[in-house]
Amino acid sequence: MMAQKMLHELRTMPRFIYILVLIAGFGLTIGLYRMLVGLGDTTNLSKAFPWGIWISFDLAVVALSGGAFTLAALVYVFQFEDLHPATRPTVLAGLLGYSAVMVILLFDLGRWDRFYNVFLHPNLSSALFEVSWCIAAYSLILIYELSPVLLERSRWSRLLPTIKKYTVPIVIIGVILSTMHQSSLGTMFVIMSPRLHALWSSMLLPVFFLVSSFASGISLVIAGATVSYWLFGRSLKVKTIAKLGWFLPWILGFYLVLKFGELIIANELDLLFSSGVYSLLFWTELIVGIFTPMLLFAFKGARHSRVASLLGAFLVMGGVVLNRFDVTWFSMTPVSGEMYTPHWMEVAILLGVAAALITVYSLVARYFPVYEETASFKQRSEEPARLKQAAAGED
Amino acid sequence: VAEHSKSPRYGFLIDASLCIDCRTCMVACSVENKVSMETTRIWIEETGITGSFPNLKRYTVPYHCMHCKDPSCVSACTVGALRRNDDGIVTYEQDICIGCRYCIYACPFEVPNYEWDEPLPLVVKCDMCAVRLGEGQQPACASTCPTGAIRFGKYEDMLEEAHRLINERPDKYVQHVYGEEENGGTATLYISPVPFEELGFPTVGATSTAYSNRLITEGTPMVAGAMLVGMTGIYLTIKHFRDEAARERREAEQEKAAAGVKEES
Repeated sequence: MMAQKMLHELRTMPRFIYILVLIAGFGLTIGLYRMLVGLGDTTNLSKAFPWGIWISFDLAVVALSGGAFTLAALVYVFQFEDLHPATRPTVLAGLLGYSAVMVILLFDLGRWDRFYNVFLHPNLSSALFEVSWCIAAYSLILIYELSPVLLERSRWSRLLPTIKKYTVPIVIIGVILSTMHQSSLGTMFVIMSPRLHALWSSMLLPVFFLVSSFASGISLVIAGATVSYWLFGRSLKVKTIAKLGWFLPWILGFYLVLKFGELIIANELDLLFSSGVYSLLFWTELIVGIFTPMLLFAFKGARHSRVASLLGAFLVMGGVVLNRFDVTWFSMTPVSGEMYTPHWMEVAILLGVAAALITVYSLVARYFPVYEETASFKQRSEEPARLKQAAAGED
Repeated sequence: VAEHSKSPRYGFLIDASLCIDCRTCMVACSVENKVSMETTRIWIEETGITGSFPNLKRYTVPYHCMHCKDPSCVSACTVGALRRNDDGIVTYEQDICIGCRYCIYACPFEVPNYEWDEPLPLVVKCDMCAVRLGEGQQPACASTCPTGAIRFGKYEDMLEEAHRLINERPDKYVQHVYGEEENGGTATLYISPVPFEELGFPTVGATSTAYSNRLITEGTPMVAGAMLVGMTGIYLTIKHFRDEAARERREAEQEKAAAGVKEES
């Protein structure tokens, strides 16, 4: 009976889940191989580029996961209660994002066998210490924030009132931890300033990283809600998405002012046109990731359209991801002309972890009450006609 | 935030004009510290062949950890495996290292090496042969160098000697002691007959990158404290006004209801 039920579930699973599981399996196998033989044969990392695509990926994922604390602050501290339905999918995405980052970091650490030394031997002046402690602590907080989703329909549901009671203080601590590690990821590159191209190198890097993580985090919520609407028929109301989109022009505008202000004060404006490929990368970040979505989300019509806001969200996310790749990789001055391109095994491990991440998200979104707003039309699913009606009323 | 670090006790003085590229220092270091020649703690930087035939020139120089007064690697190390000890030697505790490789990126002199081909690799860097120093001996590289290109002694003596040499022979040496100012000053000092960029030395500013790093990381607890107070305040204020508004609404409704009851009666 049980087996039959599971078989039925497996058959009704969307096809892409199978492909993702395959990619994840392959990637993790390569990952185990890397653990056994070391970094030399499995990566193109070198003294000139001791960090590669894994770190770029980690930074991009952390930035995208920034939605969890941005939204938690908006909903619980600033009490924009109409945004509440967006918190669950965002916290879930955040938790999975951080889990993926921690898995990748384990592959990245030369001495993964004693990663726990991070907790036993803290160096308070290290930005990376701050990042690792905050990420570890914040992951626990995300689990707390997500626990109602997992417990709601179980026999542990009597814990819910207690969990709810302490939500606000926990959220505040979570927001502080996030602010600290989002910015510390930028701080990490301050000490490397001799290696970083001047267009990105700045004492304000922590602020740039923090502000851009607000934007990319919110964009991930918008994009995630829209995509899951198409895949699972579960999503957020357009009104909620529009409200989220409203914040974006402000955040992006603030980022723009900071960025150009810094360039003007550092007297580096001429680099905008004189740095060849670097100028091009910089302008791509600005035009694709900031100018265009800023204009788009400034229009009420665009904010209320699922397609337009999805497009805008993708632009912002693309811009922020490019920014993290620029800082960690593309803008690094190569030592003695040595350049870095990732080894195929590095890419395979990365894709594997990313595929696992999307698989788990999809499964949790399918089986747990992640999207509260449209939970109603799952309950009515025995009556297809009413389901259609509900979906129509949704837009 | 500013590091009032003591001046180093020991120093190297490395003279590029005397190096003959024999690599004895590399072999001695490799044997002494039991590291492979692939990832040794000392290696040779060079200008490559310059000039036109028959006046060809090629300068080489041994290169190893600078032992900064305010080392960027020490500030960066996640687990504090890198430390600067009381003698000004930057040491590496290999049992703590987690292999994050942040030190390799943080070092403005591109010094730390890594055992890329080991399954469980470690960072490789000079510790001035601390064991030999304890026994009253010179570091392996300095004691084996056949031409005296690597000299080792009290830091002040080395600095003085460097200035004496370049002042005495301005025709021979570039008027710059590399390491005196670089990254806030280092225990390893270089003098050279050709500009240091030509030897492949990185151009490094006079303020340690560790200083700008600390400016931010050590300010973080204050930011966190301010945020805790600020956000609690914002939460309580907004909650207060919302409760107030809700109460007023409720009262208004009650009044209305009461008025309704009165009218009926």
